[in-house]
Amino acid sequence: MNGTFLLNLSERWFRLLLRLYPADFRDEMGESVVETYRDRARDAVNRGGVIRLAGLWLLALVDFLRNGPGERAHPAVSWRRTGNWGRDLELATRRLMRAPTLAAAVVGTLTVGLGTFAVVYTVVDKILIEPMPYRSPDDLYFVWRDYGPIFDLKRGWLGGPDVAELQKAGGVIEGGVGLRRELATFSERDSTDPMQIAVMVTSPNLFELLGVQPALGRGFAMSEVGPKRAPVVVLAHELWNRLGANPEIVGSDVRLNGQPYTVIGVLPRSFAFMRHSSLGAPQRADAYTTFDVNLAEVNPRGGSYAGLIRVHRGTSPQAVAAAVDAVGRVIDARAFDRKGLKLYPIGLKPDLVARVRPALLVLGFASAFLVLVLMVNLASVLLARAAQREHEFAVSRALGANNVALVRATLFEGGLLGCIGGSLGALAAVWATRALLALAPLDLPRRDAVAVDWGIGAVVAGIGTALGLLAAVAPATWAARTSLSSLLAMSAVRGGGGHGRMRRGMVIAQVALSLVLLSAGGLVVRSFERLLVADPGFKPDGLLTVRVPIIPQFFPNAPDVLAVQQRIEDAFTAIPGVTGVSAATALPLTASASQNTFTIPGAPGITGDAARDNPLVDTIGIRASYPEVMGMRILAGRGFERTRRDGVPEVLIDSVLAKQFFPTGNPLGATIPRGQNTPFTIVGVVDQARLYDVHQDGRPQLYFRAEDNAARSLAFVLRTGRDPHALVPDVRAAVRRIDPRLALADLRTMDEIVGDALRQQRISAVLIAGFALGALLLAAMGLFSVVSSAVTRRHHEFGVRLALGADHGRVLRLVLREGALLVTIGLLIGVPGVYLAGGFIKGVLVGVSPLDPATLLTVALGLALVAMTACYLPARRVLRIEPAQSLRE
Amino acid sequence: MGMDKSRGESDFRLSLRAVEFHILLSLAAGERHGYGIILDIQARGETAVPDVGTMYRALARMAENGLIAAAARRPAADAGDERRNYYRITDAGVRAARAEVRRLEALMRAARIGGLLGKAAK
Repeated sequence: MNGTFLLNLSERWFRLLLRLYPADFRDEMGESVVETYRDRARDAVNRGGVIRLAGLWLLALVDFLRNGPGERAHPAVSWRRTGNWGRDLELATRRLMRAPTLAAAVVGTLTVGLGTFAVVYTVVDKILIEPMPYRSPDDLYFVWRDYGPIFDLKRGWLGGPDVAELQKAGGVIEGGVGLRRELATFSERDSTDPMQIAVMVTSPNLFELLGVQPALGRGFAMSEVGPKRAPVVVLAHELWNRLGANPEIVGSDVRLNGQPYTVIGVLPRSFAFMRHSSLGAPQRADAYTTFDVNLAEVNPRGGSYAGLIRVHRGTSPQAVAAAVDAVGRVIDARAFDRKGLKLYPIGLKPDLVARVRPALLVLGFASAFLVLVLMVNLASVLLARAAQREHEFAVSRALGANNVALVRATLFEGGLLGCIGGSLGALAAVWATRALLALAPLDLPRRDAVAVDWGIGAVVAGIGTALGLLAAVAPATWAARTSLSSLLAMSAVRGGGGHGRMRRGMVIAQVALSLVLLSAGGLVVRSFERLLVADPGFKPDGLLTVRVPIIPQFFPNAPDVLAVQQRIEDAFTAIPGVTGVSAATALPLTASASQNTFTIPGAPGITGDAARDNPLVDTIGIRASYPEVMGMRILAGRGFERTRRDGVPEVLIDSVLAKQFFPTGNPLGATIPRGQNTPFTIVGVVDQARLYDVHQDGRPQLYFRAEDNAARSLAFVLRTGRDPHALVPDVRAAVRRIDPRLALADLRTMDEIVGDALRQQRISAVLIAGFALGALLLAAMGLFSVVSSAVTRRHHEFGVRLALGADHGRVLRLVLREGALLVTIGLLIGVPGVYLAGGFIKGVLVGVSPLDPATLLTVALGLALVAMTACYLPARRVLRIEPAQSLRE
Repeated sequence: MGMDKSRGESDFRLSLRAVEFHILLSLAAGERHGYGIILDIQARGETAVPDVGTMYRALARMAENGLIAAAARRPAADAGDERRNYYRITDAGVRAARAEVRRLEALMRAARIGGLLGKAAK
């Protein structure tokens, strides 16, 4: 009907106007307001029709305009706006403001604890958990070869034909690329200063395989590969930036090793691809270009490629392994006479993070522990606070406050503190993460991705809140139990209440947790100490190193290479303050040597077992007096002399090889056959200058004369009594004088190389030690407050004891004994935890048993000492008790 | 207004606002729904009948202060038997209304003595 239509229309109008009211008023009264207006509207229609109704509409508009905003500005009931929680928030804030020291202490502790936790969480999340920035990254696998049957290399490079075979394998394998990283001399134009860059030589489908588009220009065309390919290069964002970030560079020519290459694209900033290595850390590149050979046609035994494949979405790792293994068997039959060499895949991410995984897991474990300690600490602080407020609780209850309200208020206080602490912790972690990255090894996987984001911030704040709530459970249940009668009874006794037991339990828990964390921290620090004093087999101080590659485009002939290298060595020797100069193809602790198998027929150590008699050896080319300049130990014979006799290739072997082949006899003068080439003659035995780890020998080493191979890329080492850094300008000038086309690379001191090798352990040690000290501090604070409140509580009792004839020392011992009991129980409970933690951190320890008695004993004694000091400080107050005065109170 | 600050001490309030007094007056005679209260006010010949919004804000405030309480929701004969929210007066409300009446009486007496209302009451 017409009337109904008008009424419905009116109702819509009233409901629209209702939006002017705040939500809570609408919820409670809105329906009634609309109903009332409906009634009025019905009356209006009945009495005066549409005109009257229009008047009502206008009237309603005025009413809603006045009262809606009015209700917002002056709500009928102020706290209804935020409900009970709002009132609790107001009360909790007010209470905390009244105890600012306590609030600040709690929030400060939480900030530090949760901030540390947030940093570790960020690192673990970004490195171990978050997916990598490629198209379905879980379907990407690196492929390695197990050379087991030939020599001891479980993770070796692939040969070109392996990659070609993977590419055409089909089945679950969607595509594949080979990767080879080379160093090249780069200049933007002929006239600009050359620089040394890393170039990734790869198959043209690399970017499609990863699912990444260049930010500028294009990627490689599928035809741009092989012997006749056009020389094209794609620049990484960082190199492009270094060149001035000019978009016009696409299409222009640059020089790589003196040859013109056309820049066809620039990669996005987020592209941080790393080629994983057979040995050593993954490496990135400054520029990408394609193979100028046909992979299927290169020597199948010359392993020098990393293989990267993509499989069909969702293929199981087992299926991938089977497919790769099948390809491996084809190659094994074709090129290795079925010796049983295998190919196997490893997921991109597991492979990338494998090295840091144990350390990260230990850190994760340590931070989880710290959070536990924090929670216990927070609980005991809140409990102490609840004790102070027991009077208030009891009175509130006697006046009719219900349990729910009391429990809610207590929980709320904990939650509020936790939330604030968590938020501040997340904020602090933003900076702490940056600081940590500054410390971290440059090859830390996914380094660019490691930063606190909103999600992490929210999680940490959430954890803080949950922590606060959990910690408040104990005091809250206690608050609910408190009644006026029990309070009166308690104050009559003036002894410990039920909460005393709870707080003592918390102290025990803290001591136990701290013992576990401190033991882990002590072991890791101890292990790092071992690394610091480990003898790497050379003297790193006072050494400057610089790599000067001599590229064939500028110096095609071997004699020229040798001549330039001799001039460089002479020029370096002439620099004032330099006491010795030599050079090597691979510097210690850089894991960069090439490997080969050798045997010494007829040596006394030959066993007849072919695998054992043909060990895989790191071969390093060096120039004269390298062992002397590096400070290596020559155990027998001599190093290389300055004058070199052509036709007599000399070598030094390390003590590992010497022991294997000459357990009894003298290796000097023995020869090592090399196929068609003149055999090596052993002229000396040295201790290893360690190539991989500071603390332990790696693969056996063989040093040959760099000149015999005309090695083109030598790292020069300069020994000086001055600060090695001071030599840098002279070194640059010397090389420029010899040939301005020569590029310098890796200009750094040997100490820096050693430092880099230890970085990862250093971070772990710093972080874990930090956690452990934090836990120790928390436990000490907990003990302090328990003992302190016990002294206050038992003031009267002590007064009585003193009055009855006990001396102060006796009373002091009484208090200390209580503290000592707690500490002892805590230590005992912590022991199984120490054992468990030991198993967990075994993986990151070097040269220290996870149950090292000296370390563990020191830690336990140290903890006990700190704990007893924390007891003694507040306990001392009993000395000042005046019995007479105390009794009068 | 300071309504919120007077929570818990409603018995000691000095004066009610006009709309509040009207509401208490209506409810003292029996339970009413919102429009019923407005009709009552109109019937009393009040020149300035309060807005619907003003009245419901007052209802919310008074319910919070315990002067009135919500009664059962039920069909209303004067609204085509649609269901309406009813309100009833509480003891505190009765006390407050009586206090207000006494205050008004005192004012009336004072006005008479002051000659403002003439000597009509003899």
